Order: sequence, then C-alpha cells, then structure tokens
Amino acid sequence: MSGAAATRLDPWRRSAAATAGLYLHFVRLAFLKFLAYRLRYYTGVISYTIFVAGYYYLYRALYASRAPGPGGVAEMGGLTVGEMITYVAVGWIGRSFYFNNIGRDLMHQVREGQIAMQLIKPYDVQSVMMFEAAGEAVFRLVMFTVPITVVIVPLFGVHLPPQPVLLGWTVLSFTLSLVVYSQLNFLVGCLAFHMKNIDGVLRAKMVSGDFLAGVIVPFSFFPEWFQRVVEWLPFQAIGYLPVMIYLGKRPGDELWQALLVQAGWAVGLWLAGRVAFRRSLRQVVVQGG
Amino acid sequence: MSDVLIRVRDLTRDYRLIKRREGVVGGLVDLVRPRWSTLRAVADVSFDIAPGEMVGYIGANGAGKSTTIKMLTGILTPTGGEVTVGGLVPWKQRRQYTRHIGAVFGQRTQLWWDLAVVESFRLLKKIYEVPDDVYAAQMGVFNELLGIDEFLHQPVRKLSLGQRMRCDLAAALLHKPRILFLDEPTIGLDVVAKENVRRFLREIRDLQGVTVILTTHDLGDIEQLCRRVMIIDKGRVHFDGELEELRRRTGHRVRMTVDFREPTSGARLATVTAGLPVVWQEGEGRRHVAEFRRLDVAGADVIKRVVNDCPVRDLALAEPDIEEIVREIYRDSAAAAAPAPGRSA
Repeated sequence: MSGAAATRLDPWRRSAAATAGLYLHFVRLAFLKFLAYRLRYYTGVISYTIFVAGYYYLYRALYASRAPGPGGVAEMGGLTVGEMITYVAVGWIGRSFYFNNIGRDLMHQVREGQIAMQLIKPYDVQSVMMFEAAGEAVFRLVMFTVPITVVIVPLFGVHLPPQPVLLGWTVLSFTLSLVVYSQLNFLVGCLAFHMKNIDGVLRAKMVSGDFLAGVIVPFSFFPEWFQRVVEWLPFQAIGYLPVMIYLGKRPGDELWQALLVQAGWAVGLWLAGRVAFRRSLRQVVVQGG
Repeated sequence: MSDVLIRVRDLTRDYRLIKRREGVVGGLVDLVRPRWSTLRAVADVSFDIAPGEMVGYIGANGAGKSTTIKMLTGILTPTGGEVTVGGLVPWKQRRQYTRHIGAVFGQRTQLWWDLAVVESFRLLKKIYEVPDDVYAAQMGVFNELLGIDEFLHQPVRKLSLGQRMRCDLAAALLHKPRILFLDEPTIGLDVVAKENVRRFLREIRDLQGVTVILTTHDLGDIEQLCRRVMIIDKGRVHFDGELEELRRRTGHRVRMTVDFREPTSGARLATVTAGLPVVWQEGEGRRHVAEFRRLDVAGADVIKRVVNDCPVRDLALAEPDIEEIVREIYRDSAAAAAPAPGRSA
C-alpha cells in the first residue's frame, strides 16, 4: 500500500475547564447512584451507634477500675475517660465519611472485564474513580455522617474540641483522609490485575487498616516500638491524625506537620497508584471481550 | 491507491500462562517455581482499512479476534508490531485517540447500570465534549432509527437485552466517532432485534460515513453488512478480501436437493451423472442431495441429465452459508502443504 494517502486524526485534548466540569459530573453521578441505595445506610446509623456504645461501656468499665492519676483523674495512654470516648466517637464519625470500596470496585471491573469499557473512554480512570469516591463521600456525609453525629454526640457526651477552630482543621484533615483512603484502596485494587482473587487481601486491608489507623484502639495504648512502626504507615494518616487534631493533641506546628503528613501520603499514594495502574495495563490481559 | 485510516503491521500478542503441575504438591511447587508457557494469540497480522469501510473480522472462539480488537482500541499493548490509526498509536495515546472511536462489546454495557439511560448520555456528552446542537441532532437520529426515547428515563438494569443493545449503539455513536468497533453486537438477540441492529448499522454508515470493524459469530451480520471479510484462526489471517471473492474461492459450491417421484438408488444416480463433477451424498428413498461447483459444471447441465433420466417431482439449489465457507478456508489452510483435495468425483 505504498503511496497510499493516510487519513489523519487530531490528537484530542479536553480543555481544563471541561475536565473540571466532567469530574464534577462524576461526583454528582456517584451521589445519585448511592442515593438509589440509601436504605442500606439507615441500618448503618444503627450499627455505628452500637459500635460506639460498645466502646463507651468498655472504656467506662476500664477507667472505673483504674486508680486516679496525679490530677485526681484516671488516665490511660494519656487520655481521660471523656477524651477516650470522644476519640472513639470522632474516629467512627470520620470513618462514616471517608470509607469507600473503590478497591473492590476496581477488582470487580478487572475480573469481569468491565474495565475495558472505561479504557475506551478518553479519561483518566484513576481520577474518575477518585471523584466517584468523592461523590460517595458527599452522599455519606449527608445521609450517614450527619445522622450518626446527631445521635452519637449527645448520647455519649462527646466533647467539643478545646478550641472551636480545631473543628475546621478536623474537617480538612478528614477530607485528606478521604484522599489517602481512596488512593490506598485504588492501589490495592490494582493487585486484581495480577491475582485472580483479592477478596482476602481487601478484607485484611480493611481490618488491619482500621486497627492500624487507630480507629479501634488509640496508638498510645501500644508499646513504644509499635507506635514507631505505625508512624511510617499510611493508616495513621487516615484515622489517627484527624482525631488527634480534634482532641487538641497536635498543638502549634504539630498541627501543620500532621496535615503535611496526610498530604504527603495522599500525593505519594496517588503517584504509586498511577504507576501501578499503567504498569498493570501494559503487562496484563484484560479479561473477556 | 486508496486512502488508509487504520494501518496494522506484523501485529503480535503473546500471553504468558502458568503451566500448572498436577496435585497438591504440584500446586505448591507452582507457587515457588512457576513454569511459564507462551501462547501467541495474534501472530504477524497486517492489514489496511480505508475510511468508510465496513469490515467483518471473523473466526472461532480463541482465534484472536478480541485480542486484535483490544489492541486496536488501545486497551491492550501488543507484544510486537505496529498499529497506527489516523497517525495515532492507540495504546500509547489512549486518551487522545479514544475520542475518535466508539465501541460496543456485546456482552457488556458502557451505560451506567444504576442510572436512567439519559444520565449516561449526558455523561457521555461531557466525556466527549459533544456540542449541544450535535447532541440534539444525534439524539434525534437515534430516536428515529432506534426508538430509544421509549426507555430513556428507565434505569439501565431494567432494560431488555435488545433495548440495552440499542442504547449501547447510540452511546457508542453519540460523539460521531470516525471508527466504530463492534464485538459481537447481535449476540443473544432474537431475530427481530438482530434485524433492527443490522438495519441501524447500515443506515448510520450511509448517514455518517463511520468506519466499522465488526467481529461476530453470526455470519448473517457479515452477509448483510460487510463487503470485506477477514478470517482469523490461531492468531493468523487466513483470508482478507471481498465476500464475493470468498465465495469464488470455494468455487461457488452448490447443493442440489432433488425429490424423485419414486425411490431411487444412489448407484443409479451416479451413473446418470457419470462424467460430470458431481458428488451424490448418501440419500434415502425419494430424496437425494448432490454437490457440485459452478466453476466446474453448469447447473443446467446437471439438472438436464437428472430430469431426463429420472422422474423428478421437485428440485432446489442452495448456496452454502458462510459458516461452511469459513470452515473450508480453515481446512484448506490447515492442509496448505498438500493441494486441497478435489471435491469432484
């Protein structure tokens, strides 16, 4: 076919404004999608309240059996009983906001070949999944986080932060948690390209993640060496740091450091997910037609 | 020389598979020291496709059809060879390239499962930056040709397969792509729905001049839509040419079914057509079937002999369907070393 005229296609690019509009649209669609399944979240309000109630009575019993410290108040791991209950309650309220399953979504899409339908579209799959997670988070905020806050805070006497401004920093911090959590999920989800079934990996990640994020037990209960290890993992940037900010345990520059650690993990995991996704696509077969 | 839109040269894709050992111990050994084997799914495939062509890409399961399509759509990176579509390399410039293509993979949908159909279209409008007037015009065309306005506000999960396929076709064409990839577009559809899909594809090609590459098991799709056919087996292209040429290759084989007025023996028929390249298949009683090639003998000559010698009640000539032709092409290329065995007596 030498000498054949070749038809050219323009390398197409979306404008920045259109890209922003597109991603906002994904946020909106994810919100609508979860709204269709809102019934599921009403039961979530009940189960989260039961979790927190469990910890409430557990810690009350533990602290009651404890001799009062120097200030006349019993302390464990540097927290009073009121702080401890606040720690648990705020941790779970935060989790109700940032939690998502995009790792599992990605696994299903890879396993069933549905990922192909994303790859034939002119957009960045990782970004789309991130903004869908954001849409889910907005939905969870309205339908889940706000209701459980209204229930849990008065019920268990959750403290307000020592300074009101910390409430704003906590919200920012939990927003960073959402990014870290989603990107971590995405990265783990990329394993699905290489393994047939990553259900176990995802479950292990979720359980150990909650534990290592300090959602179940505060880090200050752990031995020193364990705390050192945990500091180098991304999980503390998800659950532990925002609650510490809320409790006023990150005064002055430590507040900035905590937020920077979170932002660092967000960027680092985003980049890692990017590399993992691209490499996986190059090496691995997408199942089915 | 004609214009080229899709240029494929020596395209090759290998899959690496673990050769499993047997038993529990074998399974454990596999974990530590896997034995890899390589499967060549697509081997040195080359072709050119001009703008506006409608090409049927056919082959059995596992022949390499889907792998080729995946490389052409940028989903899969080849092991070797090159593909350029309008100067773009699909898997390297995925985002710049996919704006120009649409795809329908019959077994899956690109619509958002939980949302009303119209929400998917609105999203696609944003994804491809379709201007308002183009969007309105395209939706008008789809309503007219596919009648999608009936279920535009239903969630995708509640659509029938036929309705979903109509929506998927519209979704793939909303942004007026230059190339449309169809992987088994009529799979699972009933006769009426199939016919609707085919009619739509013909109309949209005439209307918007889209280049279509179609893989299918259903040779009716090819017969009704494509002038050009490529046959792939074991990763290699065995035939690339016009459908008419494919028929010619097999010498215009014809199957003649004859109903006689009285029971007739095969031996008698063999003597009747002695000297003509006609093969009588094992028949019974009054009905017999003969095969011959129009290239070797005129149908009229065969019929004349039979009708003159035996009382015939009825007689029908039928051309083989493409499935048979494809099977023959496979057989011929399998026995490529030896000359193809003659079919004449």
